Amino acid sequence: MSRVHKIFRKFYKIGLVLFLAIFLLFIFDEIQNLDIKRYLSEHYISEGVQETGAINLVTSVLYDYRGFDTLGEATVILTAAATLSFMAPIKKVKMLGTEFTIIIYQTIIIIIPFLVVLGMNLIFFGHISPGGGFVGGVILAMIPILVTITYGITFSENKLKANHKSLLEGIGAIGFILLGLLGIFAGSNFLASGQANFGLGNPGELISAGLIPYLNLMIGIKVGAGLATIFNSLIKEG
Amino acid sequence: MELPYVVVIILFCLGIYTIIMNKNLIKIVVGVNIVESSLILLLILISFKLGGTAPILDRKYELVVDPIPQALALTAIVIGGSFIAVMLALVIKIYKRYGTLNVDEIRKLRG
Repeated sequence: MSRVHKIFRKFYKIGLVLFLAIFLLFIFDEIQNLDIKRYLSEHYISEGVQETGAINLVTSVLYDYRGFDTLGEATVILTAAATLSFMAPIKKVKMLGTEFTIIIYQTIIIIIPFLVVLGMNLIFFGHISPGGGFVGGVILAMIPILVTITYGITFSENKLKANHKSLLEGIGAIGFILLGLLGIFAGSNFLASGQANFGLGNPGELISAGLIPYLNLMIGIKVGAGLATIFNSLIKEG
Repeated sequence: MELPYVVVIILFCLGIYTIIMNKNLIKIVVGVNIVESSLILLLILISFKLGGTAPILDRKYELVVDPIPQALALTAIVIGGSFIAVMLALVIKIYKRYGTLNVDEIRKLRG
């Protein structure tokens, strides 16, 4: 009886998934045949460069038109890093790992400067080329992660203390909000950079686009420190 | 019906199947990850236009893909990474407390 029941449950679950698949098939068929005119994206494509000063339209959507959305994202990373730091044990834990050969130890030392340059390039040129604060922050976070994997958690925590990382993350979060408040002092809305006329400059130059490069820098610092904190906390748990 | 939409549906349903069929908590986390990647693929598909360039307007382009879903995909990636990290930390805590990852056994342990 129990075996029949188990088989029935299995087929019931498979049937549910198949039903979901057929349902989604109908919905996507409708989505494909929709004949809509995308007014918002056409406005962004035709007017976005003049309104925000940033060539990269994804950056201009992320930091100017939808700056509030990005603030929410930054808060999510902050919350995740804070939760993991609370859960991680404070005492030193012996990390699982192996001894590497000398080739790996020496190669990491050579790689790190290139990673710094690549991350900073992605952050500072985020408004005129592909990239941005999030991607650059992830590249910068790779440095402590690589050091932790090769040299062990104790060495990594000695070189880059957890307090300093959370300080950097706090600087990023508070700086983002302060730069947003600058829009209010200029007589416009919170997180406005194009509307508030902060010297947009010539589109395509490094110093242009109002507040967007500085917001990119803050997000880059925040994401880098946050991901490094998350990784080290997960390593300490194990 | 184009092929990429079918791929999205297959990935989504595989993720849901993984979540509801498996007893292992790590595999459930993997299922959530698969569902999330299918949604990112859907966002990219919505923004796609045949023959369009990437939305970086250093010259005058005729056809540019939609930048809004790409920005939303970035949001989805960041939030997905954060919640998967939190889920994995909780799984580690559960394993340390109960010594098992099986959902049924954890439920039985409640007494």
